[in-house]
Amino acid sequence: MSQRQYEILFIAEQNLGEPEVDTLTSTVKGFIEKENGTVEKVEKWGKKRLAYPIGKNREGSYVLMIANAPGSSISEVERRMRVTDGILRFLAIRIDAEMKKADRKKTIRGKKESTRRASVREKDRAFEGGAQ
Amino acid sequence: MSDMETPEFRGRSGEGRGPGGERGERKDKEKGGGKGGFFRRRKTCKLCSEKVDYVDYKNTKLLLAFIPERAKILPRRMFGTCAPCQRKVRTAILRARQMALIPYSTE
Repeated sequence: MSQRQYEILFIAEQNLGEPEVDTLTSTVKGFIEKENGTVEKVEKWGKKRLAYPIGKNREGSYVLMIANAPGSSISEVERRMRVTDGILRFLAIRIDAEMKKADRKKTIRGKKESTRRASVREKDRAFEGGAQ
Repeated sequence: MSDMETPEFRGRSGEGRGPGGERGERKDKEKGGGKGGFFRRRKTCKLCSEKVDYVDYKNTKLLLAFIPERAKILPRRMFGTCAPCQRKVRTAILRARQMALIPYSTE
């Protein structure tokens, strides 16, 4: 089963505290792991003001996850997230193809400029790699 | 409708940076500008020139540069983004809106 890389961002309700958001995160993590996926990275953005109110929530806690999971499993993960209480919204997108494309572009560009500014390129790459 | 087609042609030719593209650009400006004789700087794709490979929906700072006060997505001819970049921007904006990172509209 080929693994694909997904980026899952979800918003937890505003009345949930830090520990509740943590448990919610681990539940979602459990969904992914149950479907033979692995969670690579979890990034908590904390409470942020929403651009528009969702239901009665004016703010929400954002949690971002990078996960490797087989393509067939993501619909099940999404279904489970949909029925989980406390999750306002979520977005799961596949990022491996996009990232590969971006990397290829970067290397092509690198080759073009390699004669001119090899050292600068290295710095750029390190910077862009860290920014993702 | 013909107005919509011209920028598309422009975007494609502008990517190659050919002299033909430049000429087409100028003609287009004179026709659509209204104010004859007014010189306008040629618009280039911001994302291409700044070498943004992946338009991330989480990067609100970047996306907000593409939406004005009313939060509508502006057509390409306003910003001069090339067709592939505009598509990327569009998807990114739609995703960011879904996740309440940027508004759908403002009052």
